[in-house]
Amino acid sequence: MSIERPSIEVRNLVKKFGSFTALNGIDLDVYPGEVHALLGDNGAGKSTLIKALSGIHPPTSGEIKVDGVIVHFQSPREASDAGIGTVYQDLALNPLASVTRNFFLGREIKKGLGPFGLLQMKEMNAITIAEMKKIGIHISNPDQPVGTMSGGQRQTLAIARAIYFGAKILILDEPTSALGQKQQMEVLKTIRTVQKLGNIAIILITHNEIHAQLIADRFTFLSLGEVIGRGIAQELEGDEIKKLMAGGAELGDLKAELAA
Amino acid sequence: MVLFFYPKNKMSSEISTTVKRNETDRHKKKNWFQILLARPEIGPFGVMLLLFGMLGYFSIPEGQFSINPFTGEGFNALGIRNNFRVIAQLGIVALGAGMLIISGEFDLSIGSMAGFAAGCMAMILKWGFAVIIPYPSFADGFTIEGYRLFEIQSVSPLTAILITLCLTLSFGWFQGWFIVKSGISSFIVTLGGLFFLRGLTEVSYRAFNKKVDQTAGSTTVTDLPDIKNIIEVPGLGEMEREAAKVLPNDQILKILKTAPEATLVKITDQLTYINQKVAVTKTMMQEEKMLQTLQRSLDNAIRSGNEAMQKMLQAKIDAGIDVQAVQAKAVTDLDLAKAYIDTLPTARPVAEFFGGNILQPVFDWLYFTVDWNVNNFGNQFAPGLYACVMIWLIMALFCYIVLSKTQAGNWIYSTGGNLSAARANGVPTNRVKISLFVFTAFCATMFAACQVFEVNTADAAKGNLKELEAIAAAVIGGVVLTGGFGTILGILLGTVIFGIAKEAFFYIPGIDGSFYRVFLGAVLVSAALTNENIRKRIVGSA
Ligand SMILES: Nc1ncnc2c1ncn2[C@@H]1O[C@H](COP(=O)(O)OP(=O)(O)O)[C@@H](O)[C@H]1O
Ligand SMILES: [Mg+2]
Repeated sequence: MSIERPSIEVRNLVKKFGSFTALNGIDLDVYPGEVHALLGDNGAGKSTLIKALSGIHPPTSGEIKVDGVIVHFQSPREASDAGIGTVYQDLALNPLASVTRNFFLGREIKKGLGPFGLLQMKEMNAITIAEMKKIGIHISNPDQPVGTMSGGQRQTLAIARAIYFGAKILILDEPTSALGQKQQMEVLKTIRTVQKLGNIAIILITHNEIHAQLIADRFTFLSLGEVIGRGIAQELEGDEIKKLMAGGAELGDLKAELAA
Repeated sequence: MVLFFYPKNKMSSEISTTVKRNETDRHKKKNWFQILLARPEIGPFGVMLLLFGMLGYFSIPEGQFSINPFTGEGFNALGIRNNFRVIAQLGIVALGAGMLIISGEFDLSIGSMAGFAAGCMAMILKWGFAVIIPYPSFADGFTIEGYRLFEIQSVSPLTAILITLCLTLSFGWFQGWFIVKSGISSFIVTLGGLFFLRGLTEVSYRAFNKKVDQTAGSTTVTDLPDIKNIIEVPGLGEMEREAAKVLPNDQILKILKTAPEATLVKITDQLTYINQKVAVTKTMMQEEKMLQTLQRSLDNAIRSGNEAMQKMLQAKIDAGIDVQAVQAKAVTDLDLAKAYIDTLPTARPVAEFFGGNILQPVFDWLYFTVDWNVNNFGNQFAPGLYACVMIWLIMALFCYIVLSKTQAGNWIYSTGGNLSAARANGVPTNRVKISLFVFTAFCATMFAACQVFEVNTADAAKGNLKELEAIAAAVIGGVVLTGGFGTILGILLGTVIFGIAKEAFFYIPGIDGSFYRVFLGAVLVSAALTNENIRKRIVGSA
C-alpha cells in the first residue's frame, strides 16, 4: 500500500517472563497514515507487545526501530520522547480535574520558577479547544471536569493529548471495549480523523472484528506469542479474520466439537 | 454482518452528516447565580453565615434590642480580636492538613509536631543550643561523656525558629519518605509520629527542667522574657517595655527628653483624649448607678404601697440625674513618658512578627476617631489583631496561588485524584507527597512560633488534638478524604466555622456551651456526605 519507510519496525522481538515466553519472535511494520489492527485472543501477547513498544517492559531480545533508528527504551518517558504515544485502557486521566488540566497533566505550560511556575490557563484552554476540535470534538467549557464527559470524549481527549505532545506512533489499547454503541462510533470517527492527518501511524488493539474491518488498513494476528497471519484490509475476508482472531481454529471444527 | 461493510469513504460521510448534536450541547448553560450555587463552597458559606448570625444576635446583652449583630459582645473589638485568634491558629495547621488530604494522604502528627516545635523553640530560647556528641569514657569506670561540638548561649528568635524548622521539616520529610517508600498507610505512620513526638517532647521537657533535688522536672517552660517587647531604650540599652515603665522617675523623664516633637504632640493629644473619654464614661457610670438606686427604691415603694414616696421618687427620676461631671485627669510627664515607651519599636522584629499585634493603626483609628473600640471604662478595648491572623492569611494566599494557579497545584490535585494517571503522565507523585508532609510540618512549626512568642511560655500539651480539628475543618470546607478534591477557600470557610462555633454556642441563653461539639459533629458528617455526593456526581456520570 505504501512505499514509504515504516514509522516503527519490529524484528524478531522476544519477551520472556522468567521461563514463560510471552512473545516469541514478533515482526511488525506500521506505516504513517495507516491504522494497523493488532488482533488475537486473550493471552495472545498483544498487551505485552505494546508494553515493549512503550518502554514498560524492555524486550528480552530483538530489535525495535523508530523512523529507521534502533531504540532501546528503558522507561515510558523515553518511549514517549521518541514519539510513541500510548493510550491505555484506563486513559490516565484525573476525572476530578478539568479538561484542560488533564490535557496538560505533567506537561503544563507555565511561566516562572520550576513547579511553582504560574499556569498559563488561557493559552492552555485555547490549545485544548483547538486540538480537540482538530480530531472532531467541540468542547464548549474547558473547565468541565473530565468525569462529566462521555467515555468517547475521554478517549478522544487522551488521543488528542498524545498527538499534541508529539506522538508519531499512536498505540490504542482496546479503545472501544468499555463503551456504548454510539460512543464506539465516536471513537472510530476520531481514529479515522487521526488516520487522515497522514503522518501518524496507529496501532489499534481490539477484540471487535467489525471495528477492525471498518477502520484498519492492515492486520496482524497474534496467537500464543507468535504472528499467525497478516494482511491488507482489501484482501482479507470476514470469515478469515474471525478465524485468525480465534487463534487459527476453524469455526467448522468448533461446530463439530460442540455437536459432539 | 454484511450490513457493516460500507465502502470506507461512504462510511465517513455517513457519520459526519448524521451527527449534528454534540455531547457538550447537553450541558445547559448556567447563569451567574446558578454558577454561584453550584460552587462546592456554598454549603460551608451558608453554615458560616448562620454561625456569624448566631454569634452576633445571641451575644447582644440582655435588655438591649438591636437588629445590628455587630452590637453584640461577639463582635465588639475584643471579641473580634479573640475569635480571629482562635480561627487563625487552627487555620494555619488546617491549610497544611487540607493540602495533604487533597494529595491523598493524611497527617495525624500535626498536633504533636506543634507541641514538639513549641517545646523546642522555648527550650532553645531559654537555655541555648548545643550539639553534643556522646562517647563512652573509661577514665573513671564506665561513663558516657558528651563532647560539645558547638554551642550558642543566647539564641535569637530567628535562630530558634530556624533550628526548630530544621528538626521539624526533617521529621516531616522522613515521615513522607517512609510512607511513599514503604507503601504503609499514612494514617498508621503518622499515628506513630503522633505518639513518638508527643512522648519525645515530654521527655525533653523533663530532662531539661530537671533540678538537682528533683527526680523529674516539669513539662513546661515558663518565665521566658517577653521577647517581642524588648526595646532599645535611649541611653539605657535593651530591656523589656514593662521594665522600662517602672524605672525610677528621673530615668523615665530622661527617656521622655529623647522623644521627637511630633511624637510628643501626638501622644499628648491621645492621652488627653483618653483621659477625657475615661472621665465622661465615669460620669455616665455614676449617673447610671444613681438611677439604678432610685429605681430600686421606687420598686420598694410601689411594693410597700407608700404613695408619697412613690411620687417623690418618680419625680426625681423624671427630672433626670445630674451628677457632678468627673474631672478629666491631667496628662503628667510621667504618663507621657510611659506612653512614649509604648511607641518605641521592638528590638526583636521576628518575635513581634509572630507574637505581636497587627492593624494597630486601624484599631487606634477605631478608638480615637470612630469612637467604637471603647471598653466599659472608656479606654481602648483592643490594641489590634493577633499576628497569627496575618501569618494565617499570608499562608492561605500562598497556598491558594500554589494550589490553583501553578503546576505544583495541578500535580497535587492529580496525585490525589488519580495516582496512576498522574504517574503515567510524568508527575513526580512521590516528591509531591513528601513535599506536602514537609509543608504540614512547616505549618505546625508556624503555629508553634505564633504561640511561643505571643504568650512566652510553652508546655507539653501544646497543639493537642489540633490534627483532628484541622482535618475536620478541611472536610467541613469541602475537601474529600479520598483526595483530589477541595479548595483553599473551602478550607478557610471550614476553619472559620470550626473556630466560631464554640463562641456562637456559648452565648445561646439556656443551653450548655458544649452543644457546639454536638453541632460540629453533625456538620462534619453532613459535610462529608455532601462532598462524597459531589465527587460521585462528577466521577460516576460517564
Ligand atoms: N508481567 C508479567 N509476568 C508474567 N507473565 C505475564 C506478564 N504479563 C503478561 N504475562 C503473560 O503473557 C501472556 C500474554 O499476555 P498479554 O500480553 O496480556 O495478552 P493479551 O493482551 O493479548 O490478552 C499471558 O499468558 C500473560 O499471563
Ligand atoms: Mg490485553
